[in-house]
Amino acid sequence: MALHHAAVDAVVRRRLALLVPAAILAALASLAPVAQAVPACAAAGSHHAALVVEHGDGSIVSRCVAFSTAAISGEELLNRSGVVWSSQTFGGFGAAVCALDGEPAHYVDCPGKDRYWAVFAARGGGSWQLANVGISTLTLHDGDALGVRYVPASGSAAAPVSAAGVCPAAAAPTPRRSVAASTAASTAANSAAESPAAGTTPTTAAAGATTAVATSSARLVGAAATSATYPLSQAPGPAPTGGIDPGLLLAAGVGGGLAGLAILKLVAGRRTGQ
Amino acid sequence: MTGPPAPSRATAAAHTDPASRATRAPHAPLAPRAWLVWSLAAVTVALVTDNPVYRGLVALVALNVLLTWLPPGRRVRPLAVAVLVAATLAALINLLAGHTGADVIARLPEWLPLVGGPLTLESLAFGGAIGLGLVAALFSVAPLSLVLEPHDVVDAMPASLERTGIAVATSLNLVSGFGRTFTEVRDAQRMRGWKPAGLRSWNEVLVPVILTAIEDSVRLAEAMEARAFGAGRRTSYAASSFGAREAVVVAAALAAATLFVGLRIAGVAMDWYPYPTISLPPIHPLLVLACLGLALPAFPLPTHRSAAPPGRSA
Repeated sequence: MALHHAAVDAVVRRRLALLVPAAILAALASLAPVAQAVPACAAAGSHHAALVVEHGDGSIVSRCVAFSTAAISGEELLNRSGVVWSSQTFGGFGAAVCALDGEPAHYVDCPGKDRYWAVFAARGGGSWQLANVGISTLTLHDGDALGVRYVPASGSAAAPVSAAGVCPAAAAPTPRRSVAASTAASTAANSAAESPAAGTTPTTAAAGATTAVATSSARLVGAAATSATYPLSQAPGPAPTGGIDPGLLLAAGVGGGLAGLAILKLVAGRRTGQ
Repeated sequence: MTGPPAPSRATAAAHTDPASRATRAPHAPLAPRAWLVWSLAAVTVALVTDNPVYRGLVALVALNVLLTWLPPGRRVRPLAVAVLVAATLAALINLLAGHTGADVIARLPEWLPLVGGPLTLESLAFGGAIGLGLVAALFSVAPLSLVLEPHDVVDAMPASLERTGIAVATSLNLVSGFGRTFTEVRDAQRMRGWKPAGLRSWNEVLVPVILTAIEDSVRLAEAMEARAFGAGRRTSYAASSFGAREAVVVAAALAAATLFVGLRIAGVAMDWYPYPTISLPPIHPLLVLACLGLALPAFPLPTHRSAAPPGRSA
């Protein structure tokens, strides 16, 4: 009987010895795709789009995300950047950003009643334009930039800092200041985007200022690109927004023409007694 | 209490005789089936997006089409007033009930239930967009009631939807008939010395109007039964011709609706959501041109089709 117990114990021990490493391996394997998928996605493709996140305290997180398709949605860009975020969908508008990169830590209303994440897009290195669609509906192409800034709910939303230098292709035509603008930083940013190696810290040159370049924080999963933090006083100013949508001009022309035609028909109808 | 006067002979003729309508119209009539497709396409465009620019364009297009094709004796003004009142109410309700948005234009005391709080430009704009959708959708289906005769609407329906078509046509006829009766009763009462003085005085108009509507419905039901409604396949007095003009109108309308639905499925941004900060709606030039394509019936050919085409046997 004692011999039987000893044999059973030995079998149990052997099985436990196998099970524990297997469980650890399984746990690691379940984590591995999360940690590796982001850089792999970010590295894939020859097109680039920049992401600039400006927090309420002025700190900046910027990323360069690579993609192989002709276009990428704002939602997909955020997912690939590795920045943790949450959203709420509003029908045809698409998804609104509720929390991003840990700000706000908790929320009840989305968008927030006091502050909210305003979404901007810069086309082909141009200036920021306030997005009038949700981030899931927003489409970005090679050289475009997605800007997200935590702004007060009252008043018009100020644009985030320029995306110049975040991606080589997304350089603004007239950069307001050197934000990671040195060739070394740009190259490093690009190589970081293309390489799955996380935690690259490029040198950032800001004139007469000590610019802290941070690697991915604990909140950022799988850093795929550069992540720069600026003190509030040294943060670049908002790029000017403007420009008239040609589609809107066309719609205004067509609408004006139709309204004029309707008035003419009304007047003609009255004259003929209809 | 007195009943309404009989409608004038000219008005009655315009309502019942397609040949006389065709003769007096300055342009050749469109086939009812083309009207049906056009209306459905315009409603689709108006409702598939909540972008106020596209909705506004559809509303303007439909208004132009209505003004072009309105037969003598029918007026677009009562419909326009009703639709504008509904749209204004929609905008006001959203302004008072929705307190979200960055740009506060006024504040109501917080102790007021539901409406208390900030009134924002964004809420007003979103309510306006909802109202514009109502205007566009109702103007789009208005030709089925104001331009076509009820039997035209039934003829335009596929054979399998004949019963549905008759129900729709009867309902549409009731709406326009209600408006006509209202005008006639009001005019008759005025001639008898009635003057509107407060809400209560309108009883003298509304009660005869409702009674007349009920009488008309009963009369219509009896007439339909006497003419063997539901006994077999329906025949028509005059077959409408579907020519090249109708084909162009239908093609443009279907292209517009398909483009809107297709781009929506493809994920192209066409909606507008003013919260939390109001912004200009996104506009796709192709969709603006699609809206313009719906305006083809507003530019009819000046040719005359003086008589109704040869009809099938009744």
